[in-house]
Amino acid sequence: MPEATSKRSARAKSRGGEVAVRRAGKLAGDVAILICEPSRSGRARRDPAIEVARVLDAGSNGGPVELELESGQRIEMPREQWEEVSGELKDLLREELASFDAGARETVLEALAHSTSIGGEPSFELSMSLFGVREVLRERLPRGTVKPEQPTGLAVEQILAVDDTSFWINGWMHDEDGLGEVIAVSPEGARVPVSREAFRYERPDVVEFYSGLGLDRTQRHGFTAHFTLAAPSLLAGGWIAELHTSDGLQLEIQCPAVVRDPQQARSTILGELGARGDIGGPLAATHGRDALTRLQSRIVSESTVESIDSYGEPPTDPEVSVVVPLYKRLDFLEHQLLQFSRDHDFAAAELIYVLDSTDQTDELAKQARELFALYGQSFQVVNLSSGAGFAGANGHGIEVSRGKRLLLLNSDVIPDRPGWIGAMSEFYDETEGIGALGPKLLYEDNSLQHAGLYFHRAAGAELWENAHCFKGLHRSFPAANVARPVPAVTAACMLIDRALYDEVGGLPLHYVQGDYEDSELCLKLAEAGRQNWYLPEVELYHLEGQSYVPGVRRVPSEYNMWLHSELWGPQIEELMADFDAHAAIEATEPRNDEKGAIVEPA
Amino acid sequence: MSVIAKPLDATGGKRPLRVLYVVHNHPTLHPGGAEAYALELYEAMREAPDVEPILLARIGSNVARQRVAHPGTPFSSVNGDPNQYFVFTETEHFDFFTLTSRDKALYTRHLTDFLLAQRPDVVHLQHTHFIGLDLLTQIRRVLPDAAIVYTLHEFLPICHRDGQMVRTFNNELCGEASPRRCHECFPQISEQAFFLRQRFVKGHFENVDRFIAPSAQLMDKYLRWGIEPERIEVEEYGRRPPAVRAPAPQQTKAPVNIGFFGQLSYFKGGKLMLEAMALLGEDVDAHLWLHGANLELQSQEFQDEFAAMHEALRGRVTFRGPYDHSELPKLMADLHWVLVPSIWWENSPLVIQEAFFHGRPIICSDVGGMAEKVSDGVDGMHFRVGDAHSLARAIEAATSNPRLWRSLRDGIREPYSMDAHVAHLMDIYGNLIEQREGVGAHA
Repeated sequence: MPEATSKRSARAKSRGGEVAVRRAGKLAGDVAILICEPSRSGRARRDPAIEVARVLDAGSNGGPVELELESGQRIEMPREQWEEVSGELKDLLREELASFDAGARETVLEALAHSTSIGGEPSFELSMSLFGVREVLRERLPRGTVKPEQPTGLAVEQILAVDDTSFWINGWMHDEDGLGEVIAVSPEGARVPVSREAFRYERPDVVEFYSGLGLDRTQRHGFTAHFTLAAPSLLAGGWIAELHTSDGLQLEIQCPAVVRDPQQARSTILGELGARGDIGGPLAATHGRDALTRLQSRIVSESTVESIDSYGEPPTDPEVSVVVPLYKRLDFLEHQLLQFSRDHDFAAAELIYVLDSTDQTDELAKQARELFALYGQSFQVVNLSSGAGFAGANGHGIEVSRGKRLLLLNSDVIPDRPGWIGAMSEFYDETEGIGALGPKLLYEDNSLQHAGLYFHRAAGAELWENAHCFKGLHRSFPAANVARPVPAVTAACMLIDRALYDEVGGLPLHYVQGDYEDSELCLKLAEAGRQNWYLPEVELYHLEGQSYVPGVRRVPSEYNMWLHSELWGPQIEELMADFDAHAAIEATEPRNDEKGAIVEPA
Repeated sequence: MSVIAKPLDATGGKRPLRVLYVVHNHPTLHPGGAEAYALELYEAMREAPDVEPILLARIGSNVARQRVAHPGTPFSSVNGDPNQYFVFTETEHFDFFTLTSRDKALYTRHLTDFLLAQRPDVVHLQHTHFIGLDLLTQIRRVLPDAAIVYTLHEFLPICHRDGQMVRTFNNELCGEASPRRCHECFPQISEQAFFLRQRFVKGHFENVDRFIAPSAQLMDKYLRWGIEPERIEVEEYGRRPPAVRAPAPQQTKAPVNIGFFGQLSYFKGGKLMLEAMALLGEDVDAHLWLHGANLELQSQEFQDEFAAMHEALRGRVTFRGPYDHSELPKLMADLHWVLVPSIWWENSPLVIQEAFFHGRPIICSDVGGMAEKVSDGVDGMHFRVGDAHSLARAIEAATSNPRLWRSLRDGIREPYSMDAHVAHLMDIYGNLIEQREGVGAHA
């Protein structure tokens, strides 16, 4: 039977059969919206189908116009026909879509909301077009304003972009029975129910507001959620939130502009975790962790290498690459370079500094030039576009490095005497199955800063924290002068084989600002069947900064602690069952006559 | 090459006795009797055979300009000695009434880590101020085999008035504490609170194997308070003789010089001495030399009164300021007498032993540890406690009779030696450890 089509459709051929395109309009770039005739299948005529397609070939060289539909299906049609049916988007909207009924409109909007992921990069132009379409097609609900006779209300206080496809929203709602549903509508038209899975909590201020209206109904008004869209949303303005109550009432409100800055989003989310009770509670587990992990990835990936400054000639085939992240404190550089320049081991090692506080690029460059001229120790400085955090900065340095082994070093670590890299490398060579190796680190008064890292859990507590063996005791304390396997070692000074580092995935990115990356790396090594070792024969000073006030826990560190336990709790428990942190193992050699002398190894 | 250590053979060679001394302060930070003695004892133990001492001294922002030394640990090194440590505690965390720290992590985490790492055989506490009595319980839990010895230096466990046992409203000496009597001294603190305080202190004291009282009168008060006789004994402070002894003063040289050494506080008789000097007749040729510290820590009222009286007594009283222990021979050289005019019981003032080392007889109050350590008419003179007239008469007697001075000087015996003290303490430690081995972990 011949296909009846209106005069205005163009017939597009494809392998899957014909698609009759009645109208087309440009959304943005090479993305177009197609209105197609419904396919006949012997049933009653259905609504036209809406497609979003990418123009693969505009037919400018005389050939057919080739389009790719969202499904992947490719269609083509002669250029003249394409020209006949395609036109301005606004004309299409006005003439075609405006006549659709409510159901059809919804279908169209849904289809369109997916289209931001069509083709390559999502574009603002496309989002703006889709926004325009949305505004024409969507059903506007009554505005939500709270009145004594109509107390049902909704407010969205913040909406943050975690990344292009996921968002963090918080606000409150009030209805008769607390069963109402909140739906967020993106500027591009995507609709997402957010209250169903949201974390609900009390809002005393809202309760007070309503009791001022004479209504005494306590509910968990507040809601916070991390939700995901099927396709990216790029616009800051235009979010709408709808409330649909159980008894059929519907209203909508405008949302505030989306906060797109990742650092701000991160601190807002952390602040909320801190404010809503236990850091490790349901908000973190269901919403916070995923959001923060994505934000961390985003922050790290948005930080790129802007430039690399080389001072002197690095060794051609270095054994070890020493990677040192720098953040704010540049005054240690001089002290490190002085010590390194007097150390023969540094002839075969490459030295790479990574500047994570990007506003100090010039300051560091000046200092680096002068110090190189003075000491002649070759090194490189990696400059970043934005701060990447401890793991991210190390990652950049490692990527640039070429050594077979990596020596992660903090900027505030100063060697006690030369030859330390060689001694560590030798031990590493000789120890089978080794994962990470850490030396003895000292405070400025010769007491122990690090002699192996273990995990501590206070009686009755759920979370593990990192602790250092024998911290604060004297550098000669016998039990701390025994080389032994330990659960973990600090990344303040850590030697690890590069291939092994890559094999286990390196330093994790999901901790905020920095902490627990080293213990997690060591746990991953243990999981891979490796053993981490502590080597007291090698001693360096770690002038650990007084960056926090004891007794005051900051939210990021609490979150990190929770995340660490969440991911590794059972493994840690198993590891600690066999490890004695106070290992009162006394060396087989007796102490020297003079009390306080370092025990000599056998 | 690296060493893989093995645990020590259970039947293996003799290991020195590890003794951990705990004290609330260190002489390098702040002068004071108990801490000075604690350091002397530690140093003597270091030289003794078969014993390895460790000293743990509390440090905090009230005595040192620093905040916590290292992030993540309250422990830091005292001048590089591998066996001397500071432990930092926040002064605001210490409850001066109950004698405990509000930051319990200090015990359950940090001090526990320290105890487990050090594994002392004996913990000998000189003082728990700023640290807290809970430490006693924690030691017992974490080291069930360790012997716990506690030296009492004053009456803090008994008395909330700075451990002096002097009543607040009339400054009379107090012989016995009770919830009612303590409430009388501190009307704003209820009897119930005092009851709980006593139960708290006694509860933690249960863990102590042996109390040491440097004076019999101190032990007496603790017995009255309720410590069992078998758990407490008298053992004087042992002292090292000074390297240099002050020469005898030239007697013909007037005036008679009387020296005071110590903290210039009210309880030490700071005001009393000046009152007595003011009462002396014109013809009495005596001069009082004050060597003291911590005047600036006393109340403003006291400081003002002191300054006024001192001003009025210009010809007779000279304030020489703080002194270092090593200066004593030089300072004592000009003196005939040493004055200990405390208006509280005292325990065993270190200055008495120091004066005796240098052959100087003592003028002191007729109560408590002073009356115990100085025998009236033998090696010194007593005066009625708190009575300026009585002290004035004693001073007059001292100036008018050189023969008295000579005979009292001849009556001085050499103070108890540190060597004897160390030997006795080692005996105590040994006996207690043996006893505990029998008791095992069920104590």
